[in-house]
Amino acid sequence: MIELQGLTKIYGDKTVVDDISLRVDSGEFGVLIGPSGCGKSTTLRMINRLIPATHGRILLGDDDVTQLPVEQLRRRIGYAIQSIGLFPHWSVAENIAVVPGLLKWPKSRIDERVDELMGLFHLDVGELRDKYPHQLSGGQAQRVGVARALAADPEVLLMDEPFGAVDPLTREVLQDELLRVHQHTRKTIVFVTHDMDEALKLASRIALLNTGRLVQYDRPIELLTRPADDFVRSFIGKADLGLKLLSRRWVHQYQQHATLQGSPAASTQAGYTWEVDATGRPTCLHGGRLHAEDRQQHTEVTQEWSATPDMTMKEALSRMVWFRVMVLPVIDGEGRLIGEVTMHGVMGQQPCA
Amino acid sequence: MSEERAWHPRRAGPFVANRVLLVLLAAALMGVVLLPFAAMAPNRLMSGQGVNVAVALLPWQWLSLAGLAMVLALCTLARPFPSRLARWLTLIIAPLWLLLALYGLGDYAFRTLQDASPAARVSQGAAFWILVFCPVLMIIDAFQRLGSGLAVRGFYTAALVAMVGALFASGIFDGLSIMQEYANNRDTFAAEFLTHLRLVGLALGPALLVGLPLGLLARRSPSARGPLFGVLNFFQTIPSIALFALLVAPLSALGEALPWLKALGVGGIGAAPAIIALIMYSLLPIVRNTYAGFAGVPATTIEAARGMGMTARQILWRVEVPLALPVILSGLRIVTVQAIGLTVVAALIGAGGLGSFIFQGLGQYAIDLVMLGAVPTIALAVVADFLLQILVSLSKPAGTR
Amino acid sequence: MRVAALKRPTSRDGLLASLSALLVLLVLFMEELAPLFQALFPELGNPVYRRESFLQLTLDHLLLVLVSSLISVSVGVGAGLFVTRRSGREFEPMVSSLAAIGQTFPPAAVLAIVVPLAGFGFVPTIVALTLYGLLPVVQNTIAGLGTVPPAALEAARGIGMTRGQILRRVELPMAMRVIIAGVRVSVIINIGTATIGSTVGAQSLGTPIIAGLVGNNIAYVIQGAVLVGLLAIVSDLIFERLERRFTFGD
Repeated sequence: MIELQGLTKIYGDKTVVDDISLRVDSGEFGVLIGPSGCGKSTTLRMINRLIPATHGRILLGDDDVTQLPVEQLRRRIGYAIQSIGLFPHWSVAENIAVVPGLLKWPKSRIDERVDELMGLFHLDVGELRDKYPHQLSGGQAQRVGVARALAADPEVLLMDEPFGAVDPLTREVLQDELLRVHQHTRKTIVFVTHDMDEALKLASRIALLNTGRLVQYDRPIELLTRPADDFVRSFIGKADLGLKLLSRRWVHQYQQHATLQGSPAASTQAGYTWEVDATGRPTCLHGGRLHAEDRQQHTEVTQEWSATPDMTMKEALSRMVWFRVMVLPVIDGEGRLIGEVTMHGVMGQQPCA
Repeated sequence: MSEERAWHPRRAGPFVANRVLLVLLAAALMGVVLLPFAAMAPNRLMSGQGVNVAVALLPWQWLSLAGLAMVLALCTLARPFPSRLARWLTLIIAPLWLLLALYGLGDYAFRTLQDASPAARVSQGAAFWILVFCPVLMIIDAFQRLGSGLAVRGFYTAALVAMVGALFASGIFDGLSIMQEYANNRDTFAAEFLTHLRLVGLALGPALLVGLPLGLLARRSPSARGPLFGVLNFFQTIPSIALFALLVAPLSALGEALPWLKALGVGGIGAAPAIIALIMYSLLPIVRNTYAGFAGVPATTIEAARGMGMTARQILWRVEVPLALPVILSGLRIVTVQAIGLTVVAALIGAGGLGSFIFQGLGQYAIDLVMLGAVPTIALAVVADFLLQILVSLSKPAGTR
Repeated sequence: MRVAALKRPTSRDGLLASLSALLVLLVLFMEELAPLFQALFPELGNPVYRRESFLQLTLDHLLLVLVSSLISVSVGVGAGLFVTRRSGREFEPMVSSLAAIGQTFPPAAVLAIVVPLAGFGFVPTIVALTLYGLLPVVQNTIAGLGTVPPAALEAARGIGMTRGQILRRVELPMAMRVIIAGVRVSVIINIGTATIGSTVGAQSLGTPIIAGLVGNNIAYVIQGAVLVGLLAIVSDLIFERLERRFTFGD
């Protein structure tokens, strides 16, 4: 757990961070976001005292961070930064082993831990262990950076735009991996970014900062549906607010009962029915097209043209648009039809509910 | 534009594969034909009579030289040798050429002096130097083209130096006037050589002791940087002899005023002003490279180290120093070579060293005595440069090589 | 493109002006300081070097440096240009290592070897200074042209400049600062080496220094050394100013 109480940073006569109070509970994924110069990085770096605070307190668990010896404090907190900051003269394994080494873990335990972390981040131990940073791809280096931050099993992980320098495709993969690692380890994470999509994807709570002040601190969905003021609204962006909302909703929240062909209810429903094979997998949709004259048309069900319960509604909607249908089959892990999501359902339900 | 002329053979052409080697070979052959290989003088103070290579060398010697030149000429061409083979052949032929030139000169001196007056002198001529330098450049070129690692080059160089050393040890050069000067000055030579090394060492030690912390200071404190580099650059700019000379007066005054200092050897003339001046000259490269080395450590690397909970001392010794070391050692390489050269001038204020032969020789118009000072000085500088270059590459951390 | 003079370090310019004035005054009126030197070194019979005038010695010194530097710069820049063009690129590694190895040779030793071989005096000294002065010029010309970003060259080609235009309007202006830095090193070394030239029969400001050291006349030594030191520092400051003129951006 991390708690900031009235945290303030003043350089000369410039107040960079102005009286920020917030709390990230254990196991939460907190994201600090805001335009450049809003004080988000400064706030993060006051937590591990890379920058001393002018006023205010920071609690790490029950300890005031200023009461701990600074190096000891930092060894309890993992830290990953944008340009990674890997040590160019040390191998991957040596980089990951830095903090355990500083904490004087026995060698065998360090080796075990390095292998474990490399496995967790899908880094091939045999191939990469003794490579040097300049021999890694951007994505690999970034994974090593995060693995290094986690090496000594810190209570808290601080991340300052860690995926800022990688290409969009790799960034998405790294975000998915970070989410997975977060679910796996339940670390408390404080993450700085200026990318709202990244924040919405990762955060359990988002703190929006502007000119050093905390404007709103809320769950992502609250931020989207109940913005505190115009700044929040404009920072989120009006243009694709609806889509952003749907990116925080999941198919299982919209899932409806699917009507099978030949069932008694078939005629009373919206006018489309599903055909399934012997194992319960959907094979074909009767009707379900936009225009009335297309109602009788059959649509083959394919892998791309279906939804899973843990898919975001944004993606489900995108598939509907692409295949020009009003409805998608929802399938389970074995591919069996368990329900449907419909355009009517998307439109008919308050997304903020 | 040049792409449009693609039909035109490249100027190096398919015929000549190595124009650098061709130029070196042509220069060597021209030099050998036009310039004297050796010089014969009735005594050490007279200037010598030039002797052409065909006259100086026995037929088998110059015929061998010509034969080796033919093979080298073939090595410049695209055919018959494939390029890799041509380079390795160059690496074999060029040193043979060099050794043969050395042997030939010594042999000529030996043969000539047998029936000449005891005062007669044989010295090396311009063509001899060309026959020494051209093969060395050919070897460098071949290694550059092969892209060989430092280990191969180092081993090769050591072997070549050992062979030349063996020629010296065999006494084949004893007839040469420079060796006669050496023989006449054997004891003083050893003493002056050691003095030279001692002056360099006595200057570099304190310069490092002061310069390394100053470089770190320049890195840590931007406000100190400007004035510090200003002052050090000021020293570096003053011509060596002027700085040596300007220290003479205050030091002699100091020596007069404080007899115990004088007892320690501090006075107007001698080693003290030389060492002080050498230290002043050495500071700038050391401080500059130390600063540059530390400034070259990426800020994010240091930030990461701090964020991970390293202490300032751990960051300095485990992150900054290893990453800055190659640049710092390059600075040491610069000052070592520079100090070896400047110590020559120190002889003018009575500090001794190899420079004393040079200026003594210039005063007496005895060129061979000048050579006895100059050639070892140059050799010392080149060897020090080579050894420190190896040290610099060894100091590069594995991950950054 | 305009050559931008960034911040004006007026203190450097003031230093340059006052040191130049001091140099000129000392060259012209060293004689007037005779009472001062007499007071400092009462045991000396001749407190001021009078065999030649200091003006003459300074002009001789400058002539040595100017002639050798002019040749060094034209040949050195030419060689640097040649080995960075398509037709000469093959020679670039060789010329670079030659320049690097050559600079490890101590200038005093080079002077001592070259001058006697070519006969003592003015011209052989010029030859030695020229040979040595070539190396930093070649080295920095190659390095300076190497700093021109490939994107700038590509853009210049892309807008249809000829090779001559690219060289004159893109490469040389961008490389100029580094080339001037090479000339600066070359000239400063030559000023120092020309001083030692007085030991091989070329008259220069080193002449009173050597005469003083040989004749145990410390006043001569100081007079020569102060003048040659000032000359070097003034030249260095001029080059520093010149380099600033050709600094673009930060």
